[in-house]
Amino acid sequence: MRFLFFDRVLEAEAGKRIRAVKTFPLSEPFLAGHYARAPRVPGTLLLEAMCQAAGWLVLYSYGYEVACVISLAENVRLAPGLRPGAAVEIAGEILDTNKRATLARARVEERGEVIASAERLIFPHFPSANPAELERRFRAYGWLDGLPAQEPSRQPAEEKG
Amino acid sequence: MRYLLVDRVTGWEAGRFMEGVKNVTLSEDFLEHHFPRFPVMPGSLLVEALAQLAGWLEGAGTGFKSWLLLERVRSVKYYGFALPGDQVALRVEAAGEEEGLRLFKGVAAVEGKRRAVADFAARAVALADYEDPEEQRARFRVLRREAPFPEAMQ
Repeated sequence: MRFLFFDRVLEAEAGKRIRAVKTFPLSEPFLAGHYARAPRVPGTLLLEAMCQAAGWLVLYSYGYEVACVISLAENVRLAPGLRPGAAVEIAGEILDTNKRATLARARVEERGEVIASAERLIFPHFPSANPAELERRFRAYGWLDGLPAQEPSRQPAEEKG
Repeated sequence: MRYLLVDRVTGWEAGRFMEGVKNVTLSEDFLEHHFPRFPVMPGSLLVEALAQLAGWLEGAGTGFKSWLLLERVRSVKYYGFALPGDQVALRVEAAGEEEGLRLFKGVAAVEGKRRAVADFAARAVALADYEDPEEQRARFRVLRREAPFPEAMQ
């Protein structure tokens, strides 16, 4: 599996918030064994998705001059029953940030309903070795190049109707 | 990747605790993107390994009638990385129940140094709804290095 848990970034506002989408097709290798009789998206991968969205927001906010890792997650609620085929929207929000670390929170929504959330995520920063490479990866992973100027019709919540 | 994050169970006591091992290897596909030029085991997968160990504690302790689904992580604190080549020692302890959920405290350590400490809560479900209980029992024997391995070869 490619350990990337957003398919497309819908919106990123430096220092403030990010929204991204992630789909979970049945072809995801982790769904083969989780579980054999009832494929369910592992809750920890929803935590990972929230950390990745909030983490990339940190990098984006600092112009990729910093990189970060997660050091603390608190009050995390996870949906244990998410089924293959789900399309979720991940929202991350920076609550406080300085040069050394960022405090964020995040949530995952499916069809407008919050199915997972993390109240406190702390990301210590460290200097980025290669800002240009980080930016290239974020844009390649997240479709930022093709990000429309917030046309509502392109947002997945609208598409589901 | 096969979503099996416990390689071995080294000790346990029904309803109380379980200890096990997760080996981190550079051939793990999740290390390709996490991160390029900086491969470290994702912290969320350390939580997954601890939650799976709690699942094995529930399964083995109930004769493979019950399993656990993770619902809450009250806190997880990371103290350092688990790197390719590391053997991560996992331990979970039952810490009571609350609102119908089983509570656990888990620690992941490398060479005696803690890497992650997690408080989490999981819901007990009927194992047969999720896995073939006999398959699961056979997997547990592998984790315990019991049959089918000949004793002389262990």
